[in-house]
Amino acid sequence: MKALVFSDNQEIVAQILTSIRGKSDADAAVVSPVMESIDQYGAAKLYELTGTPGTDAISQSLSKIFAEGKYDLFLAGSTVRGREVAGMLSEALNLPAMTEISDLVFRDGKIVTKRFFYGGKTLLEEESSARVLTVMPGISEASRSQSRSELVKVELPASKITIVNRIDKMAGSVNIEKAQVIVSVGRGIGSKENIEKVKPLAEAVHGEIAGSRPVCLDYQWLSEDRQVGLSGKKVKPKLYIALGISGQIQHIAGMRTSRVVVAINKDKSAPIFEEADYGIVGDLFQIVPKLVSALKQ
Amino acid sequence: MPYNVIVLVKQIPDIDQMKTDPGTGEPILQNLPLRVENLSKNAIEAAVKLKEKHGGKVSAIIFGTDRSSAAMKESYAMGVDEGFLLTGYDGNHPEVTAKVLAEKIKTIPHDLVILGNQSADSYTGLLAGKISALTGEPLLGNAVRIEMDGKTAKVTSALEEYNLEIKSDTPAIISVAQEINEPRLPPVLQIMAAGRKPINTQPAGPKEKFTSVVISNRAPKSDRKRIVFEDVDKGVSEVSKAIKEAIR
Repeated sequence: MKALVFSDNQEIVAQILTSIRGKSDADAAVVSPVMESIDQYGAAKLYELTGTPGTDAISQSLSKIFAEGKYDLFLAGSTVRGREVAGMLSEALNLPAMTEISDLVFRDGKIVTKRFFYGGKTLLEEESSARVLTVMPGISEASRSQSRSELVKVELPASKITIVNRIDKMAGSVNIEKAQVIVSVGRGIGSKENIEKVKPLAEAVHGEIAGSRPVCLDYQWLSEDRQVGLSGKKVKPKLYIALGISGQIQHIAGMRTSRVVVAINKDKSAPIFEEADYGIVGDLFQIVPKLVSALKQ
Repeated sequence: MPYNVIVLVKQIPDIDQMKTDPGTGEPILQNLPLRVENLSKNAIEAAVKLKEKHGGKVSAIIFGTDRSSAAMKESYAMGVDEGFLLTGYDGNHPEVTAKVLAEKIKTIPHDLVILGNQSADSYTGLLAGKISALTGEPLLGNAVRIEMDGKTAKVTSALEEYNLEIKSDTPAIISVAQEINEPRLPPVLQIMAAGRKPINTQPAGPKEKFTSVVISNRAPKSDRKRIVFEDVDKGVSEVSKAIKEAIR
């Protein structure tokens, strides 16, 4: 197998390269400028795409590289832009696609993939001859290899898209996907003001505050970049503390790969307890201060 | 200037109501009601808003089945002017859907094609890119804002780390994110009028489709410890130890 790996996020390129190391030959393509050390994750060739990075131009360029380099697989990090490029390339080259995969195994010239389906309610394992895959961020923990990539600069063709302006996200925004510890609140928190009451816990564990879909989208008690779930961020911290979160499957799909899960909920039958390592049944406003003082001891 | 907008509407099984078999973990799909995918509603809302502001016409295309007329009526009630229902949908095959839709798009004069950026059942997210490739029209993706100025479409595209303002000439494809708007709830009179409006129905030709061999499709197993305390003080004492261990 020979794979071409692409993402507009170079950390995801490093993760995908790590996940297929030793199983497939690989080259990678990134949008200029290159991240320091990205040439150390096992890609034989590293294509640096320069010029205006419109998705149409990226797709045309990668389609050409893919066809000329006789690759078997195109692996794109599943980001907004990654999915767009994968869609374009799969149609331009008429290649079958498999999306949002969380696991990839090569078996007798076929590939076996896993992905969540029906809104995260099921895990679908399939064998196929798909050749374009979008890969969920975090498929592996990126680690460096011995070899260095050969850097090849590629000028992108003209794009029909003009980039007018970059708008940075609001101040105070966070990237909870990278957080090591998350304290997440659900509808049970009751109000925006009540979030203040759990902040001492977040401080005690050096965690970021996150929330479920109702909290971030429906009530907007927290900004959208803090939403955990299928339609929000997929997080994988060392510790995930769920406060007043019932545990709808769409939420679980966003935090399933957390290492340790603690849940506090007043409803003993809340599904979150099925997905927790440790749980306490009771009023979170009573329990959280007690927990904070116990942690400080 | 007025704009002719095509909106792509997807109908999906109501996955919020879907259950998995407690024994086998497999999905129970029998008798599951269908609904208009949420992001399709955002797409319809965006298209109707453009019509209200600039004038023009909104045409909807659904690639569905005989059961999809309800989804088209809902689209009409929200403000869609004409609807094309292509029957022959046979499961989630984005390459088939893209070709069927692109073929129909090419027969309808338009300035914009608007669709949701992903759908909640499969989260494939490839359709916008595929349709862009098939029509040769540029994709302005994951829009949270659309502004029209003559023959130029400008969108604010929400990326993971930052937002990007991008623009292109029309005709263009715009995929929308859920943050773009709050889809309207149509008033009863409009719902009643929508029920009487004709739907242009035609079969879509069978296309070569890509299939995989399903090894399993079950509710994921969780191997959590599930140590749950109902005694708060004991719970606090034990859980605080576990937390300290976890973040050490």
